[in-house]
Amino acid sequence: MNVMITGAAGGLGRSLANECGRRGYNLFLTDVNEDGLLCIKQGLERQFNVTVATAACDLTNAESVDQMLAVIDKHQIRFDMLLNVAGMDYEGGFMRREREELVRIVLLNNAATLRITHAILKRRRAGKPFNIVFLSSLASMFPMPLKATYAASKRFLLDLAISLCQELKNENVHVLTICPGGMVTTQKAIHGIEAQGFWGTVTTNPLECVARNAIDRALAGKSIYVPGILNRILFFLGKIIPRSWIAAVIHWRWSGVTEVTGH
Amino acid sequence: MNTVVITGASSGIGLETAKILTQNGFHVIGVSRSEENCKRAKEKILSENPNAQITFMQADLMQQREVVKVAESITLYLNNSGNGELYALINNAACIRSWYMTTEEGYEQQFALNHLAGFLLTYKLLPALIKAKGCVIMTGSGSHRGIKVHWDDIMLNRRYNPLIAYKQSKLCNLLFAKGLNDRYAKDGIRAYVVDPGLVNTDIGNKGTGGLVNFVWSLRKKHGVSPDVPAKTYAFLCEQKDRQNGLYYYLCKEINYSKEVTCENANRLFELSERLCGIRYEGKEMVAV
Ligand SMILES: NC(=O)c1ccc[n+]([C@@H]2O[C@H](COP(=O)([O-])OP(=O)(O)OC[C@H]3O[C@@H](n4cnc5c(N)ncnc54)[C@H](OP(=O)(O)O)[C@@H]3O)[C@@H](O)[C@H]2O)c1
Repeated sequence: MNVMITGAAGGLGRSLANECGRRGYNLFLTDVNEDGLLCIKQGLERQFNVTVATAACDLTNAESVDQMLAVIDKHQIRFDMLLNVAGMDYEGGFMRREREELVRIVLLNNAATLRITHAILKRRRAGKPFNIVFLSSLASMFPMPLKATYAASKRFLLDLAISLCQELKNENVHVLTICPGGMVTTQKAIHGIEAQGFWGTVTTNPLECVARNAIDRALAGKSIYVPGILNRILFFLGKIIPRSWIAAVIHWRWSGVTEVTGH
Repeated sequence: MNTVVITGASSGIGLETAKILTQNGFHVIGVSRSEENCKRAKEKILSENPNAQITFMQADLMQQREVVKVAESITLYLNNSGNGELYALINNAACIRSWYMTTEEGYEQQFALNHLAGFLLTYKLLPALIKAKGCVIMTGSGSHRGIKVHWDDIMLNRRYNPLIAYKQSKLCNLLFAKGLNDRYAKDGIRAYVVDPGLVNTDIGNKGTGGLVNFVWSLRKKHGVSPDVPAKTYAFLCEQKDRQNGLYYYLCKEINYSKEVTCENANRLFELSERLCGIRYEGKEMVAV
């Protein structure tokens, strides 16, 4: 099984790489952080004795992606799974961010994800099932004041995934979207969770469980994975409560929290 | 002057140990993760003892490449400032986590810092230690008891429990020390583990959250001051003849878990060597 993971040098990407390594899959890892890629490659090889290839690549840069694809084509690598993890957010209200920072969120979370998904779908192993996983967020269910661009970019992924799921059904392609709450990936994330108090703690998902369940569900052909019961309830509420109400509540709650997590 | 390296010397037990050892005439090289805390610790030590021979080096020991880098700096320093001998290495830096978090290599953080960092640093400094017929001291903990090493899932990825990860890492400290003695006693090297008891430090409030943070805030109040365990390190460093014991509490040898066997120590050595990409040369002696 050949698996490509984007954003593999940190956070959930790294945990998913670990999970795949444990299952004995061959890995093609990409990230902008070249040193980080070399470290995780070494760690995976030492732990699981699997084959790991890495390519440092800025997915928002079409040329950089073309170079990576050229390497893939040169070695005629074909994939069985793509885990789209690379994504970003800049904290803070819309007008407090630089214009280009906001644009970068969409360039990476959406444009780059489209680019790599299309490219790797073209390079999937012929005649075999193929799995795509998109890392969306619980934030995809709500319009989120103070995280407006991020939440909307995650909504884009959710809708894209659901459509692709239908479109590619007959070609043996399965699409899973993960919509986690906060995850403890960095020290900064811990501060964010603490800042949100009780709600921060209860909507936090354990990284190692999300990684394991995500692969299990992708292989089982599931289409949506919302980790944690409370998050599933919030996800459901997001479907039935008028969106402007939700936005008002979120704005009210988060105006008081100076630092928020990567929901 | 004899040189001692102490990791995690910027606060808590490591800092007090650095104070007492400099007072007793050792030259101490402290290693810790933050430039700022290293600077503050150095100032503190010098303010109490202006003649203290103290140097600090900054390294995040959670990351293997930083362990390797700081080991090179230490070796260079030892060669330039003296005869390249390292009298003692105190592997003391450690962390507590509330959640499963990984290092750059994808290793669970408590296992990586509390055990692997010391394993790798000791390997890199072994030539300097052998030159001095030095000793290696690990900061263990009474919590190493009542647990086995989870060999089939050492990073506890399947079901993460922060407390078990901590306890296991402290059991690994004992296994590592035992393995070192089995391999290098013949070269005059001795490894010990110090049980500091319950000590009033902030270890459980750094990088933790929720329950772990809360429980530690209550628990630490019952702990002794860090200068109490520091005396045990000083005791071990000052023995002219190496002690035969392995595990020390308040300057006395005490018992440890039955899990500390030759077989487990060898198994941990092999696994840790693989995870660090190194190979200790010393051959273990056959268990009797
Ligand atoms: N406190 C207790 O009751 C108790 C009981 C049994 C065993 N122990 C053991 O005692 C040892 C020392 O702990 P402590 O209680 O003195 O805690 P502490 O005050 O938090 O000391 C830990 C030291 O390690 C440093 N450190 C943390 N992460 C590091 C990293 N990634 N790289 C390099 N250095 C790092 C810390 O630096 P900063 O100053 O920057 O934080 C600090 O100097 C540990 O091995 C612990 O397991 C403690």
